[in-house]
Amino acid sequence: MRPESTLAPAQVAVQDEQTVAALRAGDEWAFRDLYARTYPMMKRVARAYVASDAVAEEIVQETWMAVVTGIDRFEGRSALGTWIFSILTNQAKTHSARESRALPFSSVAVRDANEPAVDPDRFQKDEDAWPGHWATPPRPWQKPERRLLSLEARGHLKAALAQLPDRQRLIVGLRDIEGHSAAEVCDRLGLSRENQRVLLHRGRSRLRAALEEYLETADL
Amino acid sequence: MHSSGPPQKGHCAGAIDLPVDEVTCQQFVELVTQYFEGALAPRTLTQVEEHLVMCDWCVTYVEHVQATIASLSQLREERSPEPPHAVLAALRARKAGGG
Repeated sequence: MRPESTLAPAQVAVQDEQTVAALRAGDEWAFRDLYARTYPMMKRVARAYVASDAVAEEIVQETWMAVVTGIDRFEGRSALGTWIFSILTNQAKTHSARESRALPFSSVAVRDANEPAVDPDRFQKDEDAWPGHWATPPRPWQKPERRLLSLEARGHLKAALAQLPDRQRLIVGLRDIEGHSAAEVCDRLGLSRENQRVLLHRGRSRLRAALEEYLETADL
Repeated sequence: MHSSGPPQKGHCAGAIDLPVDEVTCQQFVELVTQYFEGALAPRTLTQVEEHLVMCDWCVTYVEHVQATIASLSQLREERSPEPPHAVLAALRARKAGGG
């Protein structure tokens, strides 16, 4: 089975039909393939709603049980993935309500906080020679012999990721770690393209800044 | 897969336009995600690309963002855990019952 983000809508429909038929027949191979493809995104989305990995895992398991036992009720009016994620978010909201947590994608506008991508002090002020241009410019990171991130730098990145606000961490996780398309993420989460992009921008900006701080210190 | 680099020529769905004549570095760093996503209006895209021709520091900033994205992709875990036993049991029960 190919990842949904690589398929045209008509191809998704055909793949869905095959998968649904296989699940109804109890085809374990087809189930394991769907599970492996979908699990990372499901876990990340569930985790955005609740306080712990363990509860997020519980939500994913409950969702799969509902999918397998309820597959006969799937009518094909939406994509299979959309249906699965609607079950997941309902399960997650139930758990989230028990924890009295604010939902990650409630009606609060994404634009409510002003969060510059780079510290404004790094740019020249209105009274300087070139307002808005770099005062403290970025330095190149890449050394030819250091193509891959070291284990230590990777640990630093993971720590910075864990400190992101929930929504930013979720979007960065889905787009940049798992490699899902903007369209898929917006569809699964019910987000506008702009809101998704704002969250991605803020999350990436924070992580870039964290890596810059680490790498420039490590170079000393 | 999403784009982690400059957009293909001419692609700018859901475009965003800026009422300015030229882009400053401080404006550029706020536009970089839209640039990668192909979400800039043609005029703004031209201004951004002209800025990058002239500003090595913002080119370095683009490289920072690309390196950050590439590093994040290295965090992907290759294997999902084994499906839960109860779910597999429910699936096998379907098969035994004739689907």
